[in-house]
Amino acid sequence: MTGKERVVKSFQLGNSDRIPWVPFVGCHAGKLLNINATSFLQSENNIVEGISKAIEIYKPDGIPVMFDLQVEAEALGCNLIWAEDNPPAVVSHVLSEGVKLQDLKIPSNKEGRIPLILNATKKLRSNFPDIALYGLITGPFTLALHLMGTDIFMKMMESPDEVTELLEFTKKVGEAMAGYYIDAGCDIIAVVDPMTSQIDPGSFEMFVTQPATEIFQIIRDKGALSSFFVCGHAQQNIEAMCACRPDNISIDENIPLDFVGKIALKHNISFGGNMKLTVVLLMGTPEDAQREAMECMDLGGKKGFILAPGCDLPMDTPIENLQAVTSLVQDPYLQDIVRAMEKSEVDLDLLNMKDYGKAGKIIVDIITLDSESCAPCQYMVEAVKNIAPHFEGIVEWREHAIKRMESVTFMNSLMVKNIPTICIDGKIAFVSKIPPKHELIAAIQQRINEKLKLIISSHKAEILIIGNNAEECKQIKNNVDTAIKETGKNIKLSVSYEEKTRLIYGVAITPAVILTEHKLKTQGEIPKVDIIKEWLKDL
Amino acid sequence: MEDILEQITTCIEFGKINKAAPYPPNMKDQDGADELTKQALEQGVKAETILKQALITGMDRVGKKFSEKKIFIPQMLMSAKAMNAAIEHLKPFFTSGEIQRKGKFILATVQGDLHDIGKNLVKMAIEGSGWEVIDLGTDVKSEKIIASLAENPDAKVGLSALLTTTMQNMKDIVQNVKSHYPHNEILIGGAPVTEDFRKQIGADFYSPDPQGAVAYLNQ
Repeated sequence: MTGKERVVKSFQLGNSDRIPWVPFVGCHAGKLLNINATSFLQSENNIVEGISKAIEIYKPDGIPVMFDLQVEAEALGCNLIWAEDNPPAVVSHVLSEGVKLQDLKIPSNKEGRIPLILNATKKLRSNFPDIALYGLITGPFTLALHLMGTDIFMKMMESPDEVTELLEFTKKVGEAMAGYYIDAGCDIIAVVDPMTSQIDPGSFEMFVTQPATEIFQIIRDKGALSSFFVCGHAQQNIEAMCACRPDNISIDENIPLDFVGKIALKHNISFGGNMKLTVVLLMGTPEDAQREAMECMDLGGKKGFILAPGCDLPMDTPIENLQAVTSLVQDPYLQDIVRAMEKSEVDLDLLNMKDYGKAGKIIVDIITLDSESCAPCQYMVEAVKNIAPHFEGIVEWREHAIKRMESVTFMNSLMVKNIPTICIDGKIAFVSKIPPKHELIAAIQQRINEKLKLIISSHKAEILIIGNNAEECKQIKNNVDTAIKETGKNIKLSVSYEEKTRLIYGVAITPAVILTEHKLKTQGEIPKVDIIKEWLKDL
Repeated sequence: MEDILEQITTCIEFGKINKAAPYPPNMKDQDGADELTKQALEQGVKAETILKQALITGMDRVGKKFSEKKIFIPQMLMSAKAMNAAIEHLKPFFTSGEIQRKGKFILATVQGDLHDIGKNLVKMAIEGSGWEVIDLGTDVKSEKIIASLAENPDAKVGLSALLTTTMQNMKDIVQNVKSHYPHNEILIGGAPVTEDFRKQIGADFYSPDPQGAVAYLNQ
């Protein structure tokens, strides 16, 4: 299935092979090209290059050509102020500056930035025939607000006819824009009307329902699909939005996904969203992004759901966070892992692993999802099982399937982050990859050698004989020599006749024997003071 | 007297500005907050009584309905307009000191952000609950807030942001202001702002709606 087929199927509430992924890459694509939002949103080449780059690294099923809700307002004469890392903002509202509504004309496809977006759309269309292209138009209410300013809220109360007339105009602008984008090759027209989140269902029905419904009808007549995007607390208007008959509704984190899904599906409308833009995608880690995506996918379900961020991605969203979502979407096995790992979010008491792996035997732990249901886990367990007979009596192995809570605790205690993982004596040895037989044997053998070395070197000792002269020490030296030879121990023997040595050891009467035991405690690491204190207690 | 105060409260609750205002349709041709406040003063009702028993009560009802999502921005703005019409008549009493404010509240939309609807709603709600609001406008840098705190050392601060990117500026401003004035409380709000975010940036209070901020300030 191609991405486009997947998106279309979901829009039509049909069965697709997996949940489609549509990252709303707007000026974030500028980051991918190392340019600012202003340079990105004003250049056909940059848009084509940036979106192509986003398609390459995020492997989306669908993507917007451009996410900028100021395009129509700009073409109609509103002034914009441009920003480094944001779409521009409308700073002047033509209708509040003396321009009359009847003097405003529907923008042609030659005005403002419209031609550059249309050209970019055509190029992307021919380069990426298998990806669903979204054309975004400013929704009729949001455009009306751009044109009139916030006075519109009071005008809705004080002179409703004026507002209705304005929305009739912004509807025509929307219809024209939808037509341009469809002709340029967009598969889906998204009517983005975030400001409707600020009004009540009564006002929505009075001012927005009719224009929005007519725009969606025109899109349908032209053979394209439609989506109604809102952001913000628009919970109160979801029913009213569905009544406008879009093919899809997309919302942000302010509205619970299951709430929207239930209403949308009841109206036979697909839905999408609503990954948290800032706290997760912008400020979180790739693991956070995957957990968030998983939660959305589980709430959204397989029917008619499109995974997407809540709204336009913040420009600085870390690339790896979005790539993490891409790999999750494409990999059902990873989804199982992320689901299982969610359990580990609960604060668990970690086991004290300080002395783990100090036993005589070598312990091999395999952390799995469950070797019975997860193929890579099964192969990893088998790999260990197969080499176990080589080390009979020396190696013990265990599987920890993290479907059980105690295994999750164990996994966290060993600081294991990926599934499956092999640990040898409490140290992570193989992560996610099934080791070839010889590598696994070599790793275990290495650990055996280390332990053996530790055992041997821990038996090293010295014997010092202290006396006044050779005569006095002769018999003792002979006896010690014999004892060392008979026991086969690795002991260094030395003799001292110096008074200084006697004083050091506090020897009053000679001859005397001093036994010094050398015990290897650690190697290749710096022991903490607390640990050294523990050793000293034995002295 | 009870009667006229209740009438003013109702005008604020439903956004009836003055007699000429067409909204709400069911109060057409009746006196609005403007006329009724003037009449109350003429009848000898104390300015402070009008503020406390009519305006604050009215704004309280509006705030509650807004946070319960029974009304939305258009209705709230109409109430604000009605309240401003009433406040106009009370201004001389604030200046003369006859009415005491509860405190000062410095309010701003953060640097890089030009959105002011949210900020203005908060301004109205807080003003309506008896605080003096010092409105620094939009696109406000931390220096300006620090300068305003220097003049009003007991003031509390409110910051608004609508864009995800200006949330970052909100973080910088909170840290900057706190480094100069660690004990002045900072309240934050705006569409993308959350309680999690508040914790991350070390602000003192977050509310998804103006009423929450009013309740916090008046607790």
